[in-house]
Amino acid sequence: MDLFDISMVGLQRGMSGALLRQQVLANNLSNANTPGFKRSDVDFHSALAAAIGGATSPQSVLGTGFSVETDTSTTMRADGNNVDVDGEMASLSENTLDYQAMTSVLSTRVKILETAIGNR
Amino acid sequence: MGLFDALNVSASGMSAERLRMDVIASNLANANTTRGADGQPYRRQEVILQEKSPSFGEVLGGVMVAGIVDDPTPPRRVYDPGHPDADKNGYVTMPNVNPVTEMVDLITSSRGYEANVTAMNAAKQMFTKTFDVLR
Repeated sequence: MDLFDISMVGLQRGMSGALLRQQVLANNLSNANTPGFKRSDVDFHSALAAAIGGATSPQSVLGTGFSVETDTSTTMRADGNNVDVDGEMASLSENTLDYQAMTSVLSTRVKILETAIGNR
Repeated sequence: MGLFDALNVSASGMSAERLRMDVIASNLANANTTRGADGQPYRRQEVILQEKSPSFGEVLGGVMVAGIVDDPTPPRRVYDPGHPDADKNGYVTMPNVNPVTEMVDLITSSRGYEANVTAMNAAKQMFTKTFDVLR
């Protein structure tokens, strides 16, 4: 096992994906009253799952990019805005929990490494 | 992508919503003002929100206030011959402010503010978790 194997790098990319998604969701919420605004989202799970599924080395996972997709197909209000504040709130808490899950796994891995190194 | 970009996005939303609240408060305070700053009856003001384009290195910019404009709807005409600003037919030109509309806008804006606070707290929680990784 490498020190930084595919799952370690996957966690790193997953965490930055969740940070990006947090920013995108915050942007949707801050534009909840902007006429004509269309919401965006990042599906970092699928991108990362595809990258890990076909991964041969940690480097290939490290290069995974995430794209911000704008949803122009729906309309919530007469002014053309399609931000559903309740939906954004749900996505926001889902994303925070995602991130917390990834950080707990990461810190456990760091603790295992520390034990192996003999730090504790 | 910086660590604090998400906080900046939420902060832009909070300040935009707060400015909207200020303008709504001004509309409500002047709902019966017949002499505005220009001597004319007060005109209802509205905030125009616009999506902010991201500056260098940012993914998303949040929201910005494009301007504060006067509402072009015609003023209310109230029959009140005793009023010092009444015209020769006894009608007073009152501001085009409808307190009910303002109240609804106030609720929208206050909920919008709360949504931004929630997003900011979520970002803070995530950052705190990051600092815990190496603890």
